[in-house]
Amino acid sequence: MRYYIRKLAFYVVALWAALTLNFFIPRLMPGNPVDTLMARLQQRGGSVDPSVRRAYELLLGTDTQQPLWDQYVAYLGNLVRGDLGISVSVFPTPASEVIFQSLPWTIVLVGIATLMSFALGIVLGTVVGWKRGTWLDSLVPATTVLAAVPYFWLALILVAVFGSALRWFPLLGGYDVVFDPGWNAEFVQSAIFHGTLPALTIVISSVGGWLLGMRNMMVSAMSEDYILTARAKGLRNSRIMTHYAARNAVLPSVAGFAISLGFVVSGSILTEQVFSYPGIGGKLLQAVQNNDYALMQGIFLVITVAVLGANLVVDLLYGLIDPRTRAGQ
Amino acid sequence: MTNLSPATTEAADGTEADPAAATGAPTPSGRPRSGLRSLVPSWSPKLAVGLGLVCAIALWGLLGPLFTGDPDTVRNISMTPPSGDFLLGTTQTGQDVLAQLAQATRGSLQIGLLVGVLATMLSAFFGIIGGYVGGAVDEGFSLLSNVMLVIPGLPLVIVIAGFVPADQRGWWTIAIVLAITGWAASSRVLRAQTLSLRNRDYVAAAKVAGEKPWRVVTVEILPNLLPLLASQFVFAVILAILSEAGLAFLGLGASNSSTLGTMLYYAQNGFALQRGAWWWFVPPGMIIALFGCGLALINFSIDEIINPKLRNVSKAGGGGRELIASGAVGAGANAGAGPAANAGAGDGGDSAAPAAAVPAGSGAEHVHADPVLTVRNLNVVYQVESPVHAVKDVSLTLGRGEILGLAGESGCGKTTLAYAINRLHRPPAEVTSGSVVLHDREGDDIDVLGLASEELRSFRWSKLSMVFQGAMNALNPVISVHAQLDDVLTTHRPEMSRAARRERCTEVLRLVGVDPRRLDSYPHELSGGMRQRVMIAMALLLDPQVMIMDEPTTALDVVVQRGILREILRFRDELGFAVVFITHDLPLLLELSDRIAVMREGEVVEYAAAEELHRQPRHPYTRQLLDSFPSLTGERGSFIRTGEDRDREPADGPRTGGPRADSPHTDSPRTESPRIDSSHTDSARTGGAAAAGITDGPGAEQHPNERAPR
Amino acid sequence: MTTLEVRDLVKDFSIRSGLRHSRLRAVDNVSFTLEPGRTVALVGESGSGKSTVARMIARLERPTAGRITATAPGGAPVDRRHYRDHVQMVFQDPFASLNPFHTIEHHLVRPLKLHGRAGKKAETRALVEQLLERVNLTPAANVAQRRPHELSGGQRQRVAIARALAPGAQVVIADEPVSMLDVSIRLGVLNLLARLQREDDLAVLYITHDLATARHFSDEILVMYRGRVVERGAADDVILNPQHPYTQLLAAAAPNPDAARGRAGGLTGAAVEPAGARAVPLADAGCNFRDRCPRVMDVCSKPVRDHAVGDGHFAKCWLHAGGPGGPEGAPGASAGGGPAGAEKDAAKDAGKDAGKGAAKDAGKDGGGRAGVVRR
Repeated sequence: MRYYIRKLAFYVVALWAALTLNFFIPRLMPGNPVDTLMARLQQRGGSVDPSVRRAYELLLGTDTQQPLWDQYVAYLGNLVRGDLGISVSVFPTPASEVIFQSLPWTIVLVGIATLMSFALGIVLGTVVGWKRGTWLDSLVPATTVLAAVPYFWLALILVAVFGSALRWFPLLGGYDVVFDPGWNAEFVQSAIFHGTLPALTIVISSVGGWLLGMRNMMVSAMSEDYILTARAKGLRNSRIMTHYAARNAVLPSVAGFAISLGFVVSGSILTEQVFSYPGIGGKLLQAVQNNDYALMQGIFLVITVAVLGANLVVDLLYGLIDPRTRAGQ
Repeated sequence: MTNLSPATTEAADGTEADPAAATGAPTPSGRPRSGLRSLVPSWSPKLAVGLGLVCAIALWGLLGPLFTGDPDTVRNISMTPPSGDFLLGTTQTGQDVLAQLAQATRGSLQIGLLVGVLATMLSAFFGIIGGYVGGAVDEGFSLLSNVMLVIPGLPLVIVIAGFVPADQRGWWTIAIVLAITGWAASSRVLRAQTLSLRNRDYVAAAKVAGEKPWRVVTVEILPNLLPLLASQFVFAVILAILSEAGLAFLGLGASNSSTLGTMLYYAQNGFALQRGAWWWFVPPGMIIALFGCGLALINFSIDEIINPKLRNVSKAGGGGRELIASGAVGAGANAGAGPAANAGAGDGGDSAAPAAAVPAGSGAEHVHADPVLTVRNLNVVYQVESPVHAVKDVSLTLGRGEILGLAGESGCGKTTLAYAINRLHRPPAEVTSGSVVLHDREGDDIDVLGLASEELRSFRWSKLSMVFQGAMNALNPVISVHAQLDDVLTTHRPEMSRAARRERCTEVLRLVGVDPRRLDSYPHELSGGMRQRVMIAMALLLDPQVMIMDEPTTALDVVVQRGILREILRFRDELGFAVVFITHDLPLLLELSDRIAVMREGEVVEYAAAEELHRQPRHPYTRQLLDSFPSLTGERGSFIRTGEDRDREPADGPRTGGPRADSPHTDSPRTESPRIDSSHTDSARTGGAAAAGITDGPGAEQHPNERAPR
Repeated sequence: MTTLEVRDLVKDFSIRSGLRHSRLRAVDNVSFTLEPGRTVALVGESGSGKSTVARMIARLERPTAGRITATAPGGAPVDRRHYRDHVQMVFQDPFASLNPFHTIEHHLVRPLKLHGRAGKKAETRALVEQLLERVNLTPAANVAQRRPHELSGGQRQRVAIARALAPGAQVVIADEPVSMLDVSIRLGVLNLLARLQREDDLAVLYITHDLATARHFSDEILVMYRGRVVERGAADDVILNPQHPYTQLLAAAAPNPDAARGRAGGLTGAAVEPAGARAVPLADAGCNFRDRCPRVMDVCSKPVRDHAVGDGHFAKCWLHAGGPGGPEGAPGASAGGGPAGAEKDAAKDAGKDAGKGAAKDAGKDGGGRAGVVRR
């Protein structure tokens, strides 16, 4: 129980830290984002309503006479109400609405791709570690090349090969625009078709890390005494590999999910950019390019919350697979 | 990017992962190395390729711009493919891609290096200081790094970069932002290792000597962290180059800078992809990938210093290497090299040849009428550069229901012998000749060395079971006691029903005096003595005829040890199995066993009934061993604390019986290759030590290596 | 010659479990005096608190209560700054106590410099070689340039001893100095310590779990159990004529081929393994062995003090409340069915609560803090 409480407490702190960071970044940066924003807004024909300006000032905190603390409280208040401000680039849609239109695309893409690469990496890592010393070892340096390839560059290459040259997959987008988004077979099929290359990019880039980590832990685990015991017990090799070596070796990989997920999310932003994928990464860039600070901050918060949430889930799962974490207390 | 370097896995969970002794780590192969020299990775093809790539690219970045001309020259030849004039073609605006590549490589390397240095400094500060100081500082620092770790980096960098106006987004700004978002992972790794080093005795010794804290950190701890720091630095450089490339690709890089990322940004915006100008966008990515790959390969070599387990087990010169390395695979050993060659040697049928079982010069005229295990002329050799003959021509006969003591000091080959009997030895160890025959209760003789791998598997545990030294390590920590008992039964007795299996597990636990309610416990929930009892229960499951116990009580306190010995004797009487009991504790064997074999440097030097060995030891080494244990209640030994100063004699021992000063096998530096006693125990110790060192709490009484012999 | 006096030493560790802090008393009112030329042995099982005592004396831990005072030859107390000139320590594991990165010379030069015993380079080198020769490591010049991994365990421990002597220490704390060494070289190292003790008139605290060497190597023995000294007296008295049931249990459990063979089966079931500290919290001043004691009485839960059982021989046991020559005397008299708590989960896991996240293989044997009184 204590393990879970500690984990929950940690994520509450992390969330608070992210919110606070988000609050302070615009206030610490040079320049006056509110003015930039208002100018941009006027270009778009938006009315420069004092209340709109005030909302931005709360978010970005420039030129206000209000004490910092009050700004902070008001900022948190707005967040609790789900008010992330009005997007400039997609004026006058609220930022939250923009985000929630694009979020599912990213969650599905990144979620599926990450789970696939995790599973693949663990399975391959188990086998490579188990068969240490065979030709499979040469896979290990090979994966480092994959891991060192920039996501976006790999995406470019994949597009060039499978999109432009071979024309197997579409070049751009999340779905074929002739279909209406919705839960119909054609649209889902189209979405899967369009999502293949982005997902492939993420899987190829991240599988090497999992593989390598798992393989190294397998090698370590296999020199443990309990493996010797298992061999002395006359257990079948398959059982020793799964229940004894891999079962122990997988723990650090699961615990390390937190670190890796951040990398994957970062990579997926770049990937989305290459594929013009309608996900949240593309929107973030759009926001940056248009000085859409409200949307920018909103997206950062949502991504952070999503990553924290995923990590929390993984940590809770970890408690299930490692009896030592839940014991004792 | 996910785990670019293996070290990230350790970052994943410093306490779980095994940051095995970065220091003084036993070198399983090659000569022991030390000091600064130990920080230099050993030469390997991986390292060579890695260094080659990194050096080539660094040189290209350094010197390339001097030769390739001005990258900014705009020409009227848009997007020409590679040709003699322009080796890598031109861009949309007719700029030379090759020249741009050289300049961009330089830019990327610069930023990578700068960020690598900054991030490593940050992580060293937070990790090492936090780990060393401990307490609230550590709590704060590790909370900070953990928070930084879970907040996704690139989105944060993008947001920060988005707020900084493009004209103010300089080279340093980007570097600092990248460093601030990129230090956390290595800080965690460094903290874990520092925590482990902090609890080492040599740090305590430095404090006792009166060293100041800053000196303890810089002189005692820091040098031992260098490999780890190097690995983290390399990792930080890769990460920085990749992150910067990503940022620049999004158009958020440093203004006026030219890096590989910027090149890709222009290529993307110049529709290089759509127009098939591969020469524009392939080379920059290639350079990043190759450079990253080179650094990662270097990291492999550094990681092998940090975690010796990752190293190849052996380097028996030349072509044999692959073969032997392949044997390192746990179970592959069963099928692998070795004993099959000797299959013919054991003419299993001949059960009685006890005369041969007594080595010349020893005094075991005792002939067992009903032997259960005969070991004849067994030789085990570690096939390393200079082969080590770990077991030399050992012959033993184990009678049914007998307790045979195998005494000897560390490295005498007793554990190797025990493993070889069950064919658990792993390459490079190899049985070169001899036979092991188990005389089955039903009358068959089983030639153990000749068993095919599936036969061997079913032979193990059902005829011959083992109890290992560290029950903590011998039990799988993540599955329950029940599951570990149960899988013996599901494997060897597939016909048993679930209920019957559970019944049997309960029965054996009760037999060894463990409350059957403990069946669903996990090993860590049991005390040391309890765990060893569970191990014994497990060994009893299939009613074996022989049980090999390898220092089963060495790690336990005397009182607990006594309890377990009592149980062993009781089972022997009730269940009638024979025991090979291995220990360095001769007095214990004298009490416990029927006969005793004393081993030294792979040889059985004396083999006799226990009482006889006690009363009239024949071999000088036996006498020396006996003399090493002062009597608890007997005469106060004259050799201790009297005026005589025997320790000036050449040997380490007080009564120099044998010529065994500091001979390489008996009291050798632990880094000597290879440890004769199985490397399992050794590596487990290292690992355990490192891992245990990390635990917080009142560490006073828990020296990780605390063994309680006797 | 320096005398070290330890009075009413107490060490509590605070253990955090969730939001609650509990205290764990690792050392409970331990007092003894180390005199020049004499060896006191501190005997106990792992977790009895003996190493904590050593670490407090070496100033690696701060005592919760009590005093540790060193008195210089003239009778003047040694102040904090010079304490380490007088008191040094030899650690258990010679493979861990020398820094693999540094040469042997470094390990000896540093204490020499820190304690102002070395000036010029040549002088320092001479001192280093002299130290190495004193511990029989020759050729000294050669050994000084080596690194720890090039030496055997016994040689390393000699270096560790030389390091302890380097500051000119008069009080040496030897924390299980030979338990990690191969058996055949243990006595050699102990004899070396004994010789140095004779030569320099050192006061030695010898910490061990081995009753036999404690008996032969020391003048006085203190038996520790769960943080308390339960029996103390002259070495032979304590081992040959143990009075506290715990000492009796220890003595009976130690291998002793000189006694009747087959005694391995002789112990009764009682008190063989520590019953769980959880089962009986023992949060009071009563005897802390009573949950395992085969001869437990009602009075045992009352605060117990040292009772004289012989000349300079004391046992912290109610059996001896009547004074010396009490109802019991024979060693190994522990018999009869005590609490059949042998199979309860042992106390060792109590230590687990402390270890954060129960790191993998936390020590060979549980947390190793068996049955420390929990408060």
